[in-house]
Amino acid sequence: MAMVIEELEGGITKVTLDGKLDIAGAAAVDMKMNVIAGSRKAVLVDLQQVSFLGSMGLRSLVAPARAIKGRGGKMVLFGPNELVEKVLKTSGTDTLIPVHHELQSALAALQ
Amino acid sequence: MIANGTNQTQDRLALQSRLSEIAQVPAWTEDLASRYAIPGDVQFAMDLCLEEVLSNIIRHGYAGAQDRPVIVNFTKLREGYFVIVVDDEAPYFNPLDAPELPMVSPAEQSRIGGQGIRLVRQFANTLDYESTPTGNRLRIGFSAAGPQVQPK
Repeated sequence: MAMVIEELEGGITKVTLDGKLDIAGAAAVDMKMNVIAGSRKAVLVDLQQVSFLGSMGLRSLVAPARAIKGRGGKMVLFGPNELVEKVLKTSGTDTLIPVHHELQSALAALQ
Repeated sequence: MIANGTNQTQDRLALQSRLSEIAQVPAWTEDLASRYAIPGDVQFAMDLCLEEVLSNIIRHGYAGAQDRPVIVNFTKLREGYFVIVVDDEAPYFNPLDAPELPMVSPAEQSRIGGQGIRLVRQFANTLDYESTPTGNRLRIGFSAAGPQVQPK
């Protein structure tokens, strides 16, 4: 699982994940996601290149989202494929972390 | 691969009870997918269900004991229908009797995690449990078309 972090205009941090958010993928990103959760208030997680999401991967998204929300911030998910989105919906994760398929709406949600 | 004298063919993956062993699953299902024409969404479902089931067996069934066996068998029953059977030697436990924990929600108090069995029920087409003389057997059916198992 590869992870690229970009700082966008308006104080938005874009985290692009590439690969599988399985047990190994989750372990690979957990520490960096926790750092982001503790320091950023507007986070967009780009899931367009995420081909798999399991329950350990869900933890890697939910825990940072809760932390960011607890600090008064927001996190959104962008561009999951159909199967990844099914995992998000089945688990209820989409109720905590909004899912967007248009970049502009995702960015607007963080303003 | 084992040809069992019928139109069915079987493949077997033998794992030990370490979470790191689960990393073998995607390559195994990828190979199965290419040999048995398994659609991408079914392969995804297999990977998801196996990750959940195997991690639960390793973490909870074997309670961290390493070098215990977990055997995964794949069978293509017919065109578009595949079955994965997971056998372990852990104490008897039927995961289908386990209650589903609450879904993730915006509520601060809701727990993180516990979504595994819910995901398995949604992504598998059939789920069957039986106890064996030595442990547990979970049979997971996947169809290239058709509804998933409905949650309890």
